[in-house]
Amino acid sequence: MTIDWSWISGHTDDLTTLTVSHLQAALSAVLLGLLISLPLAVVAHRVRPLRGFLLGLSNVLFTIPSIAVFVLLLPVSGLTRTTTVIGLTIYTLVVLLRNTVEGLDSVPTRTKEAAKAMGTRPLRTLLTVEFPLALPVIMAGVRIATVMSISLVSVATYIGDGGLGQLFTDGFQRNFPTPVIVGVVLTLLLAVVADALLVAVQYVLTPWTRRRA
Amino acid sequence: MNRRTLLGGLFAAASVPALSACSSGITSLDGEGTTTSGGGSSKGGLTIGTANFTENQVLGYLYAAVLDAVGVKTTVRPNLGTREILIPALKGGDIDLLPEYQGALLHYLDPKAAATEEGEMQNSLAMALPASLQVLPYGLAEDSDAFAVTRETAEKYGLISLADLKKHNGKLVIGAAAEVKARQVGAVGLKDVYGVEFKEFKSLDSSGPLVKGALKKGDIDVANLFTTDTDIQANGWVVLTDPKNLIPGQHVVPLIADRKADSTVRKALAGLGNVLTTADLTELNRQVDKDKKDPEDVARAYAQQKGLVK
Amino acid sequence: MYELFKNLGGWLTSGEQWAGPDGIATRLAEHLQYSLLATLVAAAIGLPLGLLIGHTGKGAFVAINLSSFGRALPTVGLVVLVFLASGLSMWPVYVALVALAVPALVTNTYAGMTAVDPDVKDAARGQGMRGHQVLLQVELPLALPLIMTGLRLALIQVVATATIAAYVSFGGLGRYVFDGLAQRDLVQVMGGAVLVAVIAVALDVTLAALQRFLFRHRTA
Repeated sequence: MTIDWSWISGHTDDLTTLTVSHLQAALSAVLLGLLISLPLAVVAHRVRPLRGFLLGLSNVLFTIPSIAVFVLLLPVSGLTRTTTVIGLTIYTLVVLLRNTVEGLDSVPTRTKEAAKAMGTRPLRTLLTVEFPLALPVIMAGVRIATVMSISLVSVATYIGDGGLGQLFTDGFQRNFPTPVIVGVVLTLLLAVVADALLVAVQYVLTPWTRRRA
Repeated sequence: MNRRTLLGGLFAAASVPALSACSSGITSLDGEGTTTSGGGSSKGGLTIGTANFTENQVLGYLYAAVLDAVGVKTTVRPNLGTREILIPALKGGDIDLLPEYQGALLHYLDPKAAATEEGEMQNSLAMALPASLQVLPYGLAEDSDAFAVTRETAEKYGLISLADLKKHNGKLVIGAAAEVKARQVGAVGLKDVYGVEFKEFKSLDSSGPLVKGALKKGDIDVANLFTTDTDIQANGWVVLTDPKNLIPGQHVVPLIADRKADSTVRKALAGLGNVLTTADLTELNRQVDKDKKDPEDVARAYAQQKGLVK
Repeated sequence: MYELFKNLGGWLTSGEQWAGPDGIATRLAEHLQYSLLATLVAAAIGLPLGLLIGHTGKGAFVAINLSSFGRALPTVGLVVLVFLASGLSMWPVYVALVALAVPALVTNTYAGMTAVDPDVKDAARGQGMRGHQVLLQVELPLALPLIMTGLRLALIQVVATATIAAYVSFGGLGRYVFDGLAQRDLVQVMGGAVLVAVIAVALDVTLAALQRFLFRHRTA
């Protein structure tokens, strides 16, 4: 299990390309997941009967093996990046949906009533009062979803995509540990950096939460 | 001049004249299409897809090298999966060009196909392919499926040919890629042609670490390997002979979407096909698998060395 | 689409499909074996670790970061890495599955322990209980609901991920997914996926029932 350092120095361009592609897939999935989750969460938050159904559905989707999802998407979107992103998005829903619903639930009724009393319209209340107050919980979900997606992208290597995951299949086929080790390390690094950036984003977006020194 | 393609051409002319009006280009004498359906253009560049084993990637990058040299922009997508995944992707437009193998491709398209001679197969391929796809002239290099056993197994069971396997029906375990289970050149054909029934079919990989590891370890008795795999010789494995010609000739043949097949592409790929030999291909595979060189670098170096690229 | 579901129904209900060494019954048993064994091993590692961190209050930083680190670990990469190191064996599968389950178990156990009211712990000590008695008789029972949540989460993930065993030549329901991919047999892929989802949900429901049974005397 020795590392071939010259392979690494000879492949910095390839590694950069794969890392960027990896990150792009994961981030697209989280963004798409948010686009789907935010409105669905509002529905689940307001319409109680739908809440159990939506959360339950996202839980069941989470139990389907990701490789199967990628394969089953082949007739729809082929061997493309779209297949990867759709597949990953499905797995972000379980975290994003639940956290957004919980975030909206955590907004005190008094606050909403105060907004109403001031004559604020419901949509405006949602956008300017409820979402901002739910932001810490939503962001916690975004962080988990991002890290999870970054780890999951490599599964798409079985359909010829997968960013850094390609290093895994390559190393596997040629009995060559170096690309595999590099792939694992870069994936972890990517996750740590992305997580730290999201913490920073949250810090900037929620100034009211930093009272304590 | 490639004699086999010439024969193929004569055969085509004699046997399928009715097709000449509508078929895709199937044969050529010098790489220029003689019976093309026309209309294809590689101007916008093309995407080369490759299957999930080393050699196919080497071939993909060789195609890219010779096409780049004549000004056709290419993108190589390595490791996309099996033929069963790649051909629908080719039809669907995700990829445009694919290094293929005559016999295996023919059996995929038509499991009942009887052709075994190269020219014949080339014609059968042209007939079996949908109008949107065509095979270009096949090259010199050949990579067949092989069913191999260890020397010890061969001695223990007295195995020389595939026919000998029948004596041990229900006792032996075969290891191959999952797709081989349902393929004619695989479990299905071994049963139909040789009456062989295995105790178990183990889904492994295409002449890769799983199937070779399992053969070494004794987890399987018979392994489906590629004849261009240098590990066969290195390990002293015995390739079982095929007296009933179950395994067809497997010349490397480019499979291309009609929309991209123009004379520039044809000429470049035919040039490569007429230079690249089985021995060359085996050596290139070895450089990737054993020396851990990149298939892309190996392919480019070869193309340069043979004067296919300036 | 309709055709696919109709064929799926046939695939799932055919007696021939269920029998034999590569039948659904065998694959199901293999899948359960991989998943349960891996979760058990993960619990044997994760529970004591979480309890220790929670009880002593030392290493909390590790517990919290372990969870995000664990989530980021690419299972495919880990499987391949262990495969290259150990050769053709079950090691890659079990190492990857255990590595997947341990973080969820540690962090939830730790979270359960920190949720225990410090006054309760003080009261127990005040009655003369020793450290390990407080841990086993007071903290553990109170932390159990969150520990169970961690166990359920870990098990679901392990069941879904045990599919990977097929990638390194072994059985389980992943066989249908990987073979179906190679043969582009979507019915087989879907059949495998549905079965995995069904046993994941079934195991989760079973654990939830067990949890309710264990805490039936407790009023929330």
